[in-house]
Amino acid sequence: MKVNEVPQDGKILESSGVRDVCYATDENGDYKQIISVGWDAKNVALDFTWESIYEECEEIKKEVLSGEKSPLAYHLHRLIMTPEILSDYSGFSKRDIRRWCKAKHFVKLQKEQLEQLACALRISVEQLTSLD
Amino acid sequence: MQLDFIHKPSGHCENGVVSNLLRYYGVEMSEAMVFGLGSGLFFAHMPFIRLHGMAVTSFRPLPGDIFSRVLSLLNIKIKRYKFRDRERAMRTLDSLLERGIPVGMLVGVYHLPYFPKEYRFHFNAHNICVTGKEGDVYTVSDPVVVDKCTLTYDELKLVRFASGTYPPKGRMYHIADVRSKCDVTAETVRRAIVKNCNRMLKIPVPMFGVKGIRFLAWRMRKWEGRMGAKRAALNLAQIVRMNEEIGTGGAGFRFIYAAFLQEASVIMNEPRLRELSAEMTIAGDMWRDFSYNAARLIKKRDAEPITYDQLADKLVAISQKEEAIFRDLAKGFGPCKQM
Repeated sequence: MKVNEVPQDGKILESSGVRDVCYATDENGDYKQIISVGWDAKNVALDFTWESIYEECEEIKKEVLSGEKSPLAYHLHRLIMTPEILSDYSGFSKRDIRRWCKAKHFVKLQKEQLEQLACALRISVEQLTSLD
Repeated sequence: MQLDFIHKPSGHCENGVVSNLLRYYGVEMSEAMVFGLGSGLFFAHMPFIRLHGMAVTSFRPLPGDIFSRVLSLLNIKIKRYKFRDRERAMRTLDSLLERGIPVGMLVGVYHLPYFPKEYRFHFNAHNICVTGKEGDVYTVSDPVVVDKCTLTYDELKLVRFASGTYPPKGRMYHIADVRSKCDVTAETVRRAIVKNCNRMLKIPVPMFGVKGIRFLAWRMRKWEGRMGAKRAALNLAQIVRMNEEIGTGGAGFRFIYAAFLQEASVIMNEPRLRELSAEMTIAGDMWRDFSYNAARLIKKRDAEPITYDQLADKLVAISQKEEAIFRDLAKGFGPCKQM
């Protein structure tokens, strides 16, 4: 990569302090450090990943509205959590978390348990019990 | 309390932390040199480790390896920690800071507040360096951020004990003793290059090194038939992200290694290394071409879209290129000892 070929396709990084330091060759073939704000290829890959996560979320939303799954299942997917990871953060067992992904078990949750789950997911209890 | 720590951003998080730490102890070393001495160029495609339900493709050795290798080559004493008790991990960090020692550590990026939201996956191999504490707030030198940033006690505790694939478990490291330090000589550089050749050429498992690239190509050809267009594209997106993402960039690493070879050619007085550096630049450009075309496939906006087979062919070409480079290096710089 030449110095003038370093991509500057800002889209995601611009608003944060995070930058990409790239190495590129100058006209003598010596390497130089150039700071870049992103590259389209990478942005496409990231966008695609998030889009597909949101698409799957919409499908789960429908299942929640039909009364099959619980809002917990929706939030787990939206926050790219898995029962394993949430179990680590919240202290509940994986089995319990999988059970609570179904609406009929979710409604039986106590207030304290909901608070503990919401805290581990870093959202409020109101959010956890709704589809926000 | 703030340590007098100079923060410089870098291409790869671990190089940056190591080079910033060394500078604190009066050893000036460029990022590329750290990367090269740490034999940091690698490839691994490991279907048995999953990240977000997909096989892990890594362009780097295990976190902490670069640090250990560089400092053992320089004969500097280090100390590495791993904790089970969260409070103890934070207490140990505090006491080290009070003694005036900057501490590098491994964190997960999922809960890192200064990262853009789009980057916050459960990726647990990011390196930062803690350089001071005011009350409840830690000053953090993160090599991918332009300036120093801050994390509260609770935030830092959370990211140090992130959960998911390869949990960091509070891992941290610092430099313990620089008195026995030796300088970078031609021999040190040669040993680092040989080590990197061995890592890329001689691991007898098909998942690592240049064989690993071919292994990925072989698996990629079957993706679409095995898991459908959607899942295949997601897998491809994960590889592009791993290839290009800050701190893990695969293509970027080839350029850093090429920069190292340039510096090495001066130290060893070996013009051949400069030619090989140019070859490595070509390998890096091939990786970028791969990412570019992969992104086109993911977007599916072309009239004549590229196929997974064509992408796999590109990977095979890359593996041949890199194999040739490393065979050349191995031939020119000493006997390839078995690791």
